Amino acid sequence: MVVGTRDASLIPEVTRAWGLLVSKDRKSISLCAPLATSGKTLDNLAGNGEMTVCCCLPTSYKTVQLKGQCIERADPSRGDLVAVERHREAFGRLNERIGFPRERSETFWQRELESSPALIRLRFVPEQIFDQTPGPDAGSPL
Amino acid sequence: MSAPSVLTVPLESIGPCFEGMIPASICSCSREGTPNLTYLSIVHLLDARHVGLSYQFFNKTRANILENPQAQVLLVSPETLGQYRLDLRYVRTETEGPSFERMKIRLDAVASQSGMSGVFKLRGVDVFEVLDCRPVTSDFRAEASRRADYLPELDSFTERLSACGDLDSLLSAALETLSSLFGCPHSFVMFPDEEGKHLYTGASYGFEPSGVGSEVLIGEGMLGVAAERRAAVRTTSMTREMILTRAVRSAIERHGKQTLLAKEIPLPGLANAQSQLVLPLVVGNGLQGVLCLQDQIPGRFLATDERVLQIAARHLGVAISNAKAAVSASRKVALRRKGVLSKRSSVVKHYKSDDSIFIDDAYLIKGIPGRLLWKLLQAFVGTGRMAFSNKEIRLDAGLRLPDIKDNLETRLILLRRRLDERCEFVRLVHAGRGQLHLEVHRKLKLEELA
Repeated sequence: MVVGTRDASLIPEVTRAWGLLVSKDRKSISLCAPLATSGKTLDNLAGNGEMTVCCCLPTSYKTVQLKGQCIERADPSRGDLVAVERHREAFGRLNERIGFPRERSETFWQRELESSPALIRLRFVPEQIFDQTPGPDAGSPL
Repeated sequence: MSAPSVLTVPLESIGPCFEGMIPASICSCSREGTPNLTYLSIVHLLDARHVGLSYQFFNKTRANILENPQAQVLLVSPETLGQYRLDLRYVRTETEGPSFERMKIRLDAVASQSGMSGVFKLRGVDVFEVLDCRPVTSDFRAEASRRADYLPELDSFTERLSACGDLDSLLSAALETLSSLFGCPHSFVMFPDEEGKHLYTGASYGFEPSGVGSEVLIGEGMLGVAAERRAAVRTTSMTREMILTRAVRSAIERHGKQTLLAKEIPLPGLANAQSQLVLPLVVGNGLQGVLCLQDQIPGRFLATDERVLQIAARHLGVAISNAKAAVSASRKVALRRKGVLSKRSSVVKHYKSDDSIFIDDAYLIKGIPGRLLWKLLQAFVGTGRMAFSNKEIRLDAGLRLPDIKDNLETRLILLRRRLDERCEFVRLVHAGRGQLHLEVHRKLKLEELA
Protein backbone atom coordinates (compact mmCIF):
# COMPACT_ATOMS: atom_id res chain seq x y z
CA MET A 1 0.00 0.00 0.00
CA VAL A 2 1.37 3.41 -0.96
CA VAL A 3 0.41 6.97 -0.13
CA GLY A 4 0.73 9.87 -2.57
CA THR A 5 0.87 13.56 -1.70
CA ARG A 6 2.16 16.74 -3.33
CA ASP A 7 3.74 20.02 -2.25
CA ALA A 8 2.86 23.62 -3.11
CA SER A 9 4.77 23.33 -6.41
CA LEU A 10 2.74 20.20 -7.34
CA ILE A 11 5.79 17.97 -6.88
CA PRO A 12 4.53 14.50 -5.92
CA GLU A 13 5.85 12.25 -3.16
CA VAL A 14 5.26 8.52 -2.56
CA THR A 15 5.64 6.66 0.70
CA ARG A 16 4.67 3.20 1.83
CA ALA A 17 2.07 2.63 4.55
CA TRP A 18 0.69 -0.24 6.58
CA GLY A 19 -2.39 -1.29 8.56
CA LEU A 20 -5.34 0.32 6.82
CA LEU A 21 -8.46 0.60 9.02
CA VAL A 22 -11.94 1.79 8.07
CA SER A 23 -13.67 3.84 10.78
CA LYS A 24 -16.86 2.51 12.39
CA ASP A 25 -18.97 5.13 10.61
CA ARG A 26 -17.21 4.13 7.33
CA LYS A 27 -16.51 7.78 6.55
CA SER A 28 -12.77 7.85 7.16
CA ILE A 29 -9.77 5.61 6.80
CA SER A 30 -6.58 5.47 8.80
CA LEU A 31 -3.18 3.98 8.10
CA CYS A 32 0.32 4.12 9.52
CA ALA A 33 3.46 5.38 7.80
CA PRO A 34 7.06 5.12 9.03
CA LEU A 35 7.82 8.49 10.59
CA ALA A 36 11.46 8.78 9.53
CA THR A 37 10.80 8.03 5.85
CA SER A 38 7.68 10.15 5.52
CA GLY A 39 9.02 13.62 6.30
CA LYS A 40 8.11 15.16 2.95
CA THR A 41 4.74 13.41 2.97
CA LEU A 42 3.91 14.90 6.37
CA ASP A 43 5.04 18.38 5.24
CA ASN A 44 2.83 18.07 2.16
CA LEU A 45 -0.18 16.97 4.19
CA ALA A 46 0.36 19.82 6.63
CA GLY A 47 0.44 22.22 3.68
CA ASN A 48 -2.58 21.13 1.65
CA GLY A 49 -4.04 17.84 2.96
CA GLU A 50 -4.33 16.30 -0.54
CA MET A 51 -3.81 12.57 -0.17
CA THR A 52 -4.26 9.44 -2.24
CA VAL A 53 -3.87 5.82 -1.19
CA CYS A 54 -3.37 2.86 -3.51
CA CYS A 55 -3.82 -0.75 -2.32
CA CYS A 56 -2.94 -3.79 -4.42
CA LEU A 57 -3.47 -7.49 -3.77
CA PRO A 58 -0.24 -9.19 -4.89
CA THR A 59 -1.95 -12.46 -5.84
CA SER A 60 -4.38 -10.91 -8.36
CA TYR A 61 -3.23 -7.31 -8.87
CA LYS A 62 -6.74 -6.20 -7.91
CA THR A 63 -6.05 -2.57 -7.06
CA VAL A 64 -8.06 0.35 -5.71
CA GLN A 65 -7.13 3.99 -5.30
CA LEU A 66 -8.78 6.33 -2.81
CA LYS A 67 -8.40 10.09 -3.12
CA GLY A 68 -9.33 12.49 -0.38
CA GLN A 69 -8.21 14.87 2.35
CA CYS A 70 -6.04 14.07 5.33
CA ILE A 71 -7.84 15.27 8.44
CA GLU A 72 -5.58 14.07 11.23
CA ARG A 73 -2.09 12.92 12.12
CA ALA A 74 -1.44 11.32 15.47
CA ASP A 75 0.46 8.65 17.30
CA PRO A 76 -0.89 5.19 16.47
CA SER A 77 -3.30 3.56 18.91
CA ARG A 78 -3.01 -0.04 20.04
CA GLY A 79 -5.68 -0.91 17.45
CA ASP A 80 -3.59 0.69 14.70
CA LEU A 81 -0.53 -1.34 15.69
CA VAL A 82 -2.62 -4.53 15.64
CA ALA A 83 -3.77 -3.62 12.10
CA VAL A 84 -0.15 -3.04 11.07
CA GLU A 85 0.83 -6.47 12.41
CA ARG A 86 -2.12 -8.05 10.60
CA HIS A 87 -1.05 -6.35 7.37
CA ARG A 88 2.53 -7.57 7.85
CA GLU A 89 1.27 -11.14 8.30
CA ALA A 90 -1.04 -10.96 5.23
CA PHE A 91 1.71 -9.36 3.15
CA GLY A 92 4.06 -12.25 3.93
CA ARG A 93 1.39 -14.93 3.45
CA LEU A 94 0.09 -13.66 0.10
CA ASN A 95 3.52 -13.02 -1.33
CA GLU A 96 4.59 -16.49 -0.28
CA ARG A 97 1.74 -17.88 -2.38
CA ILE A 98 3.28 -16.32 -5.48
CA GLY A 99 6.78 -17.57 -4.78
CA PHE A 100 8.21 -14.72 -2.70
CA PRO A 101 9.64 -16.47 0.37
CA ARG A 102 8.39 -15.41 3.79
CA GLU A 103 11.87 -14.51 4.99
CA ARG A 104 12.20 -12.08 2.06
CA SER A 105 8.94 -10.37 3.03
CA GLU A 106 10.25 -10.13 6.57
CA THR A 107 13.50 -8.62 5.33
CA PHE A 108 11.51 -6.09 3.32
CA TRP A 109 9.43 -5.22 6.36
CA GLN A 110 12.47 -4.90 8.58
CA ARG A 111 14.36 -2.77 6.10
CA GLU A 112 11.34 -0.51 5.78
CA LEU A 113 10.99 -0.05 9.51
CA GLU A 114 14.36 -0.66 11.12
CA SER A 115 15.54 2.86 10.46
CA SER A 116 12.13 4.23 11.32
CA PRO A 117 10.55 2.13 14.08
CA ALA A 118 8.18 4.95 15.01
CA LEU A 119 4.96 5.10 13.04
CA ILE A 120 2.57 7.95 12.48
CA ARG A 121 -1.13 7.47 12.03
CA LEU A 122 -2.78 9.34 9.17
CA ARG A 123 -6.56 9.62 8.99
CA PHE A 124 -8.21 10.78 5.82
CA VAL A 125 -11.67 11.13 4.31
CA PRO A 126 -11.89 9.50 0.88
CA GLU A 127 -13.86 11.51 -1.64
CA GLN A 128 -13.31 9.37 -4.72
CA ILE A 129 -12.55 5.68 -5.21
CA PHE A 130 -11.11 4.24 -8.42
CA ASP A 131 -10.53 0.77 -9.78
CA GLN A 132 -6.79 0.62 -10.60
CA THR A 133 -6.63 -3.06 -11.54
CA PRO A 134 -4.57 -3.38 -14.75
CA GLY A 135 -6.78 -3.48 -17.84
CA PRO A 136 -9.51 -1.46 -19.53
CA ASP A 137 -11.24 -0.61 -16.23
CA ALA A 138 -8.12 0.97 -14.72
CA GLY A 139 -8.94 4.47 -13.57
CA SER A 140 -12.70 4.07 -13.65
CA PRO A 141 -14.61 5.32 -10.59
CA LEU A 142 -16.11 2.78 -8.20
CA MET B 1 12.90 20.51 -8.59
CA SER B 2 16.41 21.22 -9.81
CA ALA B 3 18.61 18.39 -10.93
CA PRO B 4 21.86 17.81 -9.03
CA SER B 5 24.88 17.27 -11.23
CA VAL B 6 25.34 13.81 -9.72
CA LEU B 7 22.53 11.56 -8.54
CA THR B 8 22.63 10.61 -4.86
CA VAL B 9 22.49 6.96 -5.96
CA PRO B 10 23.67 6.27 -9.54
CA LEU B 11 21.02 4.42 -11.53
CA GLU B 12 23.53 1.88 -12.82
CA SER B 13 24.21 0.81 -9.24
CA ILE B 14 20.60 -0.29 -8.72
CA GLY B 15 20.18 -2.20 -12.01
CA PRO B 16 18.05 -5.03 -10.57
CA CYS B 17 15.37 -2.45 -9.58
CA PHE B 18 14.67 -2.03 -13.30
CA GLU B 19 13.99 -5.69 -14.00
CA GLY B 20 10.28 -5.75 -13.13
CA MET B 21 10.64 -8.33 -10.38
CA ILE B 22 8.89 -6.22 -7.75
CA PRO B 23 6.21 -3.75 -8.87
CA ALA B 24 7.06 -0.05 -8.57
CA SER B 25 4.62 2.79 -7.97
CA ILE B 26 4.41 6.22 -9.57
CA CYS B 27 2.84 9.36 -8.16
CA SER B 28 1.87 12.18 -10.51
CA CYS B 29 -0.18 15.29 -9.84
CA SER B 30 -2.85 17.09 -11.84
CA ARG B 31 -2.72 20.81 -12.57
CA GLU B 32 -5.47 21.23 -9.97
CA GLY B 33 -3.24 19.62 -7.33
CA THR B 34 -4.75 16.15 -6.92
CA PRO B 35 -2.11 13.45 -6.60
CA ASN B 36 -2.57 10.14 -8.46
CA LEU B 37 -0.95 6.77 -7.83
CA THR B 38 -0.46 3.78 -10.09
CA TYR B 39 1.50 0.56 -9.75
CA LEU B 40 3.96 -0.17 -12.54
CA SER B 41 5.02 -3.65 -13.58
CA ILE B 42 8.38 -2.35 -14.77
CA VAL B 43 10.41 0.86 -15.00
CA HIS B 44 12.96 0.71 -17.82
CA LEU B 45 16.46 2.06 -17.34
CA LEU B 46 17.36 3.95 -20.53
CA ASP B 47 20.66 5.57 -19.56
CA ALA B 48 22.44 7.09 -16.57
CA ARG B 49 19.89 9.93 -16.31
CA HIS B 50 16.72 8.64 -17.97
CA VAL B 51 14.06 6.03 -17.38
CA GLY B 52 11.19 4.97 -19.62
CA LEU B 53 7.63 3.90 -18.96
CA SER B 54 5.52 2.06 -21.49
CA TYR B 55 2.56 3.99 -22.81
CA GLN B 56 -0.23 1.62 -23.80
CA PHE B 57 -3.46 3.22 -22.63
CA PHE B 58 -4.29 6.84 -22.02
CA ASN B 59 -4.73 7.01 -18.26
CA LYS B 60 -4.68 9.52 -15.43
CA THR B 61 -0.90 9.30 -14.96
CA ARG B 62 -0.40 10.22 -18.59
CA ALA B 63 -2.93 13.03 -18.45
CA ASN B 64 -1.15 14.39 -15.40
CA ILE B 65 2.39 14.29 -16.78
CA LEU B 66 1.27 16.08 -19.93
CA GLU B 67 -0.01 19.01 -17.85
CA ASN B 68 2.49 18.75 -14.97
CA PRO B 69 5.69 16.92 -15.93
CA GLN B 70 6.81 16.20 -12.36
CA ALA B 71 6.48 12.68 -10.99
CA GLN B 72 8.03 10.39 -8.42
CA VAL B 73 8.63 6.66 -8.63
CA LEU B 74 9.19 4.31 -5.70
CA LEU B 75 11.40 1.35 -6.61
CA VAL B 76 12.26 -1.76 -4.63
CA SER B 77 15.48 -3.70 -5.10
CA PRO B 78 14.74 -7.43 -5.54
CA GLU B 79 18.17 -8.22 -4.09
CA THR B 80 18.57 -6.05 -0.98
CA LEU B 81 14.86 -5.08 -0.73
CA GLY B 82 15.99 -1.50 -0.23
CA GLN B 83 13.71 1.21 -1.63
CA TYR B 84 14.57 4.20 -3.78
CA ARG B 85 12.69 7.36 -4.67
CA LEU B 86 13.27 8.67 -8.17
CA ASP B 87 12.31 12.30 -8.76
CA LEU B 88 11.32 12.53 -12.41
CA ARG B 89 10.53 15.11 -15.05
CA TYR B 90 8.67 13.99 -18.17
CA VAL B 91 10.70 14.88 -21.27
CA ARG B 92 9.09 13.32 -24.34
CA THR B 93 7.31 10.30 -25.78
CA GLU B 94 9.24 8.18 -28.27
CA THR B 95 7.34 6.20 -30.90
CA GLU B 96 10.38 4.82 -32.67
CA GLY B 97 14.06 4.22 -32.03
CA PRO B 98 16.03 1.59 -30.11
CA SER B 99 14.27 1.98 -26.73
CA PHE B 100 10.85 1.86 -28.35
CA GLU B 101 11.75 -1.20 -30.45
CA ARG B 102 13.22 -3.05 -27.48
CA MET B 103 10.14 -2.44 -25.33
CA LYS B 104 7.78 -3.21 -28.21
CA ILE B 105 9.40 -6.60 -28.88
CA ARG B 106 9.21 -7.48 -25.21
CA LEU B 107 5.55 -6.40 -24.95
CA ASP B 108 4.60 -8.17 -28.18
CA ALA B 109 6.23 -11.37 -26.92
CA VAL B 110 4.33 -11.27 -23.62
CA ALA B 111 1.10 -10.34 -25.41
CA SER B 112 1.48 -13.22 -27.82
CA GLN B 113 2.30 -15.74 -25.08
CA SER B 114 -0.75 -14.67 -23.08
CA GLY B 115 -3.05 -14.59 -26.10
CA MET B 116 -3.52 -10.83 -25.88
CA SER B 117 -1.86 -9.44 -28.98
CA GLY B 118 -5.12 -7.64 -29.62
CA VAL B 119 -4.92 -5.92 -26.24
CA PHE B 120 -1.33 -5.00 -25.45
CA LYS B 121 -0.10 -2.42 -27.95
CA LEU B 122 2.86 -0.17 -27.27
CA ARG B 123 1.89 3.34 -28.32
CA GLY B 124 5.05 4.97 -27.06
CA VAL B 125 7.79 5.15 -24.49
CA ASP B 126 7.38 8.01 -22.04
CA VAL B 127 10.89 9.22 -21.33
CA PHE B 128 11.63 10.85 -17.97
CA GLU B 129 14.75 12.67 -16.85
CA VAL B 130 15.83 11.44 -13.42
CA LEU B 131 16.44 14.51 -11.30
CA ASP B 132 17.58 12.49 -8.32
CA CYS B 133 17.59 8.95 -6.99
CA ARG B 134 17.62 8.64 -3.21
CA PRO B 135 17.39 5.70 -0.82
CA VAL B 136 14.18 5.78 1.22
CA THR B 137 15.77 4.60 4.44
CA SER B 138 18.83 5.99 6.13
CA ASP B 139 20.47 2.56 6.40
CA PHE B 140 21.42 2.62 2.73
CA ARG B 141 23.37 -0.47 1.71
CA ALA B 142 25.09 -0.55 -1.62
CA GLU B 143 23.55 -3.05 -4.01
CA ALA B 144 25.84 -5.97 -4.75
CA SER B 145 26.69 -5.72 -8.40
CA ARG B 146 26.40 -8.89 -10.43
CA ARG B 147 29.53 -10.28 -11.90
CA ALA B 148 30.03 -8.95 -15.40
CA ASP B 149 33.50 -10.25 -16.25
CA TYR B 150 32.90 -13.60 -17.91
CA LEU B 151 35.96 -13.55 -20.14
CA PRO B 152 37.41 -16.85 -18.81
CA GLU B 153 34.07 -18.61 -19.29
CA LEU B 154 33.59 -17.17 -22.78
CA ASP B 155 37.13 -18.21 -23.61
CA SER B 156 36.43 -21.82 -22.53
CA PHE B 157 33.02 -21.85 -24.23
CA THR B 158 34.41 -20.82 -27.61
CA GLU B 159 37.32 -23.22 -27.19
CA ARG B 160 34.96 -26.15 -26.54
CA LEU B 161 32.82 -25.23 -29.54
CA SER B 162 35.82 -24.86 -31.81
CA ALA B 163 36.86 -28.42 -30.98
CA CYS B 164 33.57 -29.91 -32.21
CA GLY B 165 33.65 -31.54 -35.64
CA ASP B 166 29.93 -31.84 -36.33
CA LEU B 167 26.63 -30.23 -35.48
CA ASP B 168 25.48 -32.92 -33.09
CA SER B 169 28.55 -32.71 -30.87
CA LEU B 170 28.53 -28.92 -31.19
CA LEU B 171 25.00 -28.68 -29.75
CA SER B 172 25.76 -31.14 -26.97
CA ALA B 173 28.95 -29.28 -26.04
CA ALA B 174 27.26 -25.88 -26.15
CA LEU B 175 24.38 -26.80 -23.87
CA GLU B 176 26.55 -28.78 -21.48
CA THR B 177 29.01 -25.89 -21.27
CA LEU B 178 26.25 -23.34 -20.68
CA SER B 179 25.36 -25.41 -17.64
CA SER B 180 28.84 -26.07 -16.30
CA LEU B 181 30.37 -22.65 -17.00
CA PHE B 182 27.45 -20.25 -16.87
CA GLY B 183 25.16 -22.05 -14.43
CA CYS B 184 22.30 -22.51 -16.89
CA PRO B 185 20.97 -25.97 -16.02
CA HIS B 186 17.99 -25.98 -18.42
CA SER B 187 18.47 -25.08 -22.06
CA PHE B 188 17.32 -26.03 -25.52
CA VAL B 189 17.98 -25.09 -29.11
CA MET B 190 15.18 -24.82 -31.65
CA PHE B 191 15.64 -24.73 -35.41
CA PRO B 192 13.42 -23.15 -38.05
CA ASP B 193 11.71 -25.58 -40.40
CA GLU B 194 12.06 -25.45 -44.16
CA GLU B 195 8.99 -23.29 -44.64
CA GLY B 196 10.12 -20.81 -42.00
CA LYS B 197 6.83 -21.24 -40.16
CA HIS B 198 7.79 -23.34 -37.16
CA LEU B 199 10.66 -23.82 -34.75
CA TYR B 200 11.34 -27.35 -33.63
CA THR B 201 13.50 -28.48 -30.72
CA GLY B 202 16.66 -30.12 -31.97
CA ALA B 203 18.64 -30.43 -28.75
CA SER B 204 18.02 -29.90 -25.07
CA TYR B 205 19.85 -30.11 -21.76
CA GLY B 206 18.40 -30.59 -18.28
CA PHE B 207 14.92 -31.69 -19.35
CA GLU B 208 13.20 -35.01 -18.72
CA PRO B 209 11.75 -35.92 -21.17
CA SER B 210 13.99 -34.02 -23.54
CA GLY B 211 11.25 -32.27 -25.50
CA VAL B 212 13.19 -32.87 -28.72
CA GLY B 213 10.81 -32.55 -31.66
CA SER B 214 8.36 -30.18 -29.93
CA GLU B 215 7.30 -27.22 -32.07
CA VAL B 216 6.23 -23.61 -31.75
CA LEU B 217 5.05 -21.21 -34.44
CA ILE B 218 7.52 -18.52 -35.52
CA GLY B 219 6.01 -15.19 -34.51
CA GLU B 220 3.97 -16.71 -31.70
CA GLY B 221 4.85 -16.68 -28.01
CA MET B 222 8.12 -15.49 -26.51
CA LEU B 223 10.23 -17.96 -28.49
CA GLY B 224 8.40 -17.34 -31.75
CA VAL B 225 8.60 -13.55 -31.41
CA ALA B 226 12.32 -13.71 -30.52
CA ALA B 227 12.89 -15.75 -33.70
CA GLU B 228 10.75 -13.55 -35.93
CA ARG B 229 12.24 -10.26 -34.73
CA ARG B 230 15.77 -11.63 -34.35
CA ALA B 231 15.87 -10.16 -30.84
CA ALA B 232 16.47 -11.37 -27.30
CA VAL B 233 13.37 -11.75 -25.12
CA ARG B 234 13.89 -11.97 -21.38
CA THR B 235 11.54 -12.66 -18.48
CA THR B 236 12.52 -12.30 -14.84
CA SER B 237 9.34 -13.34 -13.02
CA MET B 238 6.90 -15.54 -14.87
CA THR B 239 4.46 -15.71 -11.96
CA ARG B 240 4.08 -11.94 -11.70
CA GLU B 241 3.79 -11.68 -15.45
CA MET B 242 1.03 -14.27 -15.44
CA ILE B 243 -0.86 -12.51 -12.62
CA LEU B 244 -0.69 -9.25 -14.55
CA THR B 245 -1.83 -10.70 -17.88
CA ARG B 246 -4.63 -12.68 -16.24
CA ALA B 247 -5.89 -9.57 -14.45
CA VAL B 248 -6.11 -7.80 -17.81
CA ARG B 249 -7.69 -10.84 -19.46
CA SER B 250 -10.41 -11.02 -16.79
CA ALA B 251 -11.20 -7.34 -17.28
CA ILE B 252 -11.43 -7.80 -21.07
CA GLU B 253 -13.78 -10.75 -20.56
CA ARG B 254 -15.97 -8.71 -18.18
CA HIS B 255 -16.27 -6.13 -20.95
CA GLY B 256 -17.50 -8.84 -23.32
CA LYS B 257 -14.57 -8.25 -25.67
CA GLN B 258 -13.50 -11.87 -25.98
CA THR B 259 -12.84 -11.33 -29.68
CA LEU B 260 -9.67 -9.47 -28.66
CA LEU B 261 -8.40 -12.56 -26.87
CA ALA B 262 -6.65 -15.63 -28.18
CA LYS B 263 -5.69 -18.75 -26.25
CA GLU B 264 -2.87 -18.51 -23.75
CA ILE B 265 0.15 -20.37 -25.10
CA PRO B 266 1.73 -22.76 -22.62
CA LEU B 267 5.41 -22.05 -22.16
CA PRO B 268 7.53 -24.89 -23.54
CA GLY B 269 10.16 -26.39 -21.26
CA LEU B 270 10.16 -26.22 -17.48
CA ALA B 271 6.73 -26.45 -15.91
CA ASN B 272 7.65 -23.99 -13.18
CA ALA B 273 10.04 -21.70 -15.05
CA GLN B 274 10.30 -18.26 -13.46
CA SER B 275 13.13 -16.87 -15.55
CA GLN B 276 13.61 -17.25 -19.27
CA LEU B 277 16.07 -15.86 -21.76
CA VAL B 278 15.49 -16.48 -25.46
CA LEU B 279 18.41 -15.60 -27.72
CA PRO B 280 18.15 -15.71 -31.51
CA LEU B 281 20.99 -17.49 -33.30
CA VAL B 282 21.52 -15.25 -36.28
CA VAL B 283 24.20 -15.13 -38.95
CA GLY B 284 23.83 -12.25 -41.36
CA ASN B 285 20.10 -12.04 -41.94
CA GLY B 286 19.64 -15.78 -41.61
CA LEU B 287 18.01 -17.33 -38.57
CA GLN B 288 19.92 -20.44 -37.53
CA GLY B 289 17.65 -21.07 -34.56
CA VAL B 290 16.98 -19.85 -31.05
CA LEU B 291 18.68 -20.70 -27.79
CA CYS B 292 16.31 -20.79 -24.84
CA LEU B 293 17.54 -20.78 -21.23
CA GLN B 294 15.14 -21.35 -18.35
CA ASP B 295 15.40 -21.40 -14.58
CA GLN B 296 13.03 -21.93 -11.66
CA ILE B 297 14.57 -19.01 -9.80
CA PRO B 298 13.07 -15.54 -10.43
CA GLY B 299 15.58 -12.97 -11.64
CA ARG B 300 18.09 -15.56 -12.82
CA PHE B 301 18.75 -13.68 -16.07
CA LEU B 302 19.31 -9.97 -15.64
CA ALA B 303 20.54 -7.39 -18.15
CA THR B 304 24.20 -8.26 -17.48
CA ASP B 305 23.54 -11.97 -18.00
CA GLU B 306 21.76 -11.20 -21.26
CA ARG B 307 24.79 -9.33 -22.59
CA VAL B 308 27.19 -12.14 -21.68
CA LEU B 309 24.98 -14.94 -22.98
CA GLN B 310 24.25 -12.97 -26.14
CA ILE B 311 27.98 -13.18 -26.95
CA ALA B 312 27.91 -16.94 -26.39
CA ALA B 313 24.76 -17.26 -28.55
CA ARG B 314 26.27 -15.25 -31.40
CA HIS B 315 29.28 -17.53 -31.39
CA LEU B 316 27.02 -20.60 -31.30
CA GLY B 317 25.01 -19.26 -34.24
CA VAL B 318 28.11 -18.90 -36.39
CA ALA B 319 29.38 -22.32 -35.30
CA ILE B 320 26.03 -23.94 -36.23
CA SER B 321 26.10 -22.22 -39.62
CA ASN B 322 29.66 -23.45 -40.25
CA ALA B 323 28.87 -27.00 -39.11
CA LYS B 324 25.87 -27.20 -41.43
CA ALA B 325 27.92 -25.92 -44.36
CA ALA B 326 30.71 -28.42 -43.65
CA VAL B 327 28.51 -31.51 -44.08
CA SER B 328 27.41 -30.59 -47.59
CA ALA B 329 30.56 -32.04 -49.13
CA SER B 330 30.34 -35.77 -48.59
CA ARG B 331 30.72 -39.05 -50.36
CA LYS B 332 28.46 -42.02 -50.67
CA VAL B 333 29.27 -44.92 -48.39
CA ALA B 334 27.32 -48.15 -48.26
CA LEU B 335 27.71 -50.71 -45.53
CA ARG B 336 25.90 -53.98 -45.55
CA ARG B 337 24.17 -55.49 -42.57
CA LYS B 338 26.32 -57.47 -40.21
CA GLY B 339 25.86 -58.67 -36.71
CA VAL B 340 22.99 -60.57 -35.17
CA LEU B 341 19.45 -59.31 -34.93
CA SER B 342 17.47 -59.97 -31.78
CA LYS B 343 14.79 -62.64 -32.06
CA ARG B 344 12.15 -60.11 -31.09
CA SER B 345 10.41 -58.20 -33.83
CA SER B 346 8.66 -54.86 -34.08
CA VAL B 347 6.17 -53.27 -36.45
CA VAL B 348 6.98 -49.89 -37.96
CA LYS B 349 4.02 -48.05 -39.47
CA HIS B 350 4.32 -45.13 -41.85
CA TYR B 351 1.25 -42.93 -42.42
CA LYS B 352 1.64 -41.26 -45.79
CA SER B 353 -0.81 -38.46 -44.98
CA ASP B 354 1.63 -36.73 -42.61
CA ASP B 355 4.70 -38.98 -42.80
CA SER B 356 4.26 -39.98 -39.18
CA ILE B 357 6.10 -43.03 -37.92
CA PHE B 358 4.79 -45.32 -35.20
CA ILE B 359 6.91 -48.13 -33.77
CA ASP B 360 4.80 -50.82 -32.12
CA ASP B 361 1.97 -48.27 -32.15
CA ALA B 362 3.99 -45.66 -30.22
CA TYR B 363 4.40 -42.34 -32.00
CA LEU B 364 7.97 -41.49 -32.91
CA ILE B 365 8.13 -38.59 -35.35
CA LYS B 366 6.38 -37.03 -38.34
CA GLY B 367 7.03 -34.77 -41.30
CA ILE B 368 10.35 -34.70 -43.13
CA PRO B 369 12.29 -36.67 -40.47
CA GLY B 370 9.53 -39.31 -40.57
CA ARG B 371 9.76 -39.58 -44.35
CA LEU B 372 13.52 -39.82 -44.13
CA LEU B 373 13.50 -42.58 -41.53
CA TRP B 374 10.97 -44.55 -43.58
CA LYS B 375 13.28 -44.36 -46.57
CA LEU B 376 16.27 -45.58 -44.54
CA LEU B 377 14.30 -48.41 -42.94
CA GLN B 378 12.99 -49.53 -46.33
CA ALA B 379 16.56 -49.71 -47.62
CA PHE B 380 17.67 -51.59 -44.51
CA VAL B 381 14.84 -54.15 -44.57
CA GLY B 382 15.00 -54.55 -48.36
CA THR B 383 18.74 -54.82 -48.93
CA GLY B 384 20.39 -54.81 -45.53
CA ARG B 385 21.98 -51.48 -46.25
CA MET B 386 23.13 -49.57 -43.17
CA ALA B 387 25.27 -46.68 -44.36
CA PHE B 388 24.08 -43.56 -46.13
CA SER B 389 25.46 -40.18 -47.02
CA ASN B 390 23.85 -36.80 -46.53
CA LYS B 391 24.49 -36.00 -50.17
CA GLU B 392 22.51 -38.93 -51.56
CA ILE B 393 19.67 -38.14 -49.16
CA ARG B 394 19.66 -34.57 -50.32
CA LEU B 395 19.58 -35.63 -53.96
CA ASP B 396 16.88 -38.28 -53.47
CA ALA B 397 13.83 -36.90 -55.31
CA GLY B 398 11.59 -39.47 -53.61
CA LEU B 399 12.17 -37.76 -50.27
CA ARG B 400 10.77 -34.47 -51.58
CA LEU B 401 13.10 -32.45 -49.37
CA PRO B 402 12.58 -28.70 -49.51
CA ASP B 403 15.28 -26.84 -51.34
CA ILE B 404 17.05 -25.68 -48.20
CA LYS B 405 20.09 -27.89 -47.90
CA ASP B 406 21.28 -26.50 -44.57
CA ASN B 407 18.23 -27.87 -42.81
CA LEU B 408 18.93 -31.55 -43.48
CA GLU B 409 21.55 -31.74 -40.75
CA THR B 410 19.23 -30.28 -38.11
CA ARG B 411 16.47 -32.70 -39.20
CA LEU B 412 18.87 -35.60 -38.83
CA ILE B 413 19.82 -34.45 -35.35
CA LEU B 414 16.16 -34.29 -34.40
CA LEU B 415 15.58 -37.77 -35.80
CA ARG B 416 18.68 -39.15 -34.09
CA ARG B 417 17.68 -37.70 -30.73
CA ARG B 418 14.07 -38.89 -30.99
CA LEU B 419 15.33 -42.40 -31.72
CA ASP B 420 17.77 -42.22 -28.80
CA GLU B 421 14.95 -41.20 -26.50
CA ARG B 422 12.09 -43.36 -27.73
CA CYS B 423 13.45 -46.46 -29.42
CA GLU B 424 16.07 -48.75 -27.97
CA PHE B 425 16.68 -50.89 -31.03
CA VAL B 426 17.06 -48.37 -33.89
CA ARG B 427 19.95 -45.94 -33.85
CA LEU B 428 21.09 -43.36 -36.33
CA VAL B 429 24.77 -42.84 -35.76
CA HIS B 430 26.89 -40.03 -37.10
CA ALA B 431 29.69 -41.86 -38.95
CA GLY B 432 32.07 -39.16 -40.01
CA ARG B 433 31.64 -36.18 -42.25
CA GLY B 434 28.29 -36.28 -44.02
CA GLN B 435 27.77 -39.96 -43.30
CA LEU B 436 25.09 -41.80 -41.41
CA HIS B 437 25.03 -45.28 -40.03
CA LEU B 438 21.68 -46.95 -39.32
CA GLU B 439 21.85 -49.56 -36.56
CA VAL B 440 18.89 -51.88 -36.14
CA HIS B 441 18.96 -54.55 -33.47
CA ARG B 442 15.60 -56.14 -34.00
CA LYS B 443 13.71 -57.68 -36.89
CA LEU B 444 11.39 -55.08 -38.37
CA LYS B 445 8.09 -55.43 -40.24
CA LEU B 446 7.22 -52.33 -42.25
CA GLU B 447 3.62 -51.29 -42.95
CA GLU B 448 2.66 -48.36 -45.13
CA LEU B 449 -0.73 -46.79 -44.47
CA ALA B 450 -2.66 -43.93 -46.06
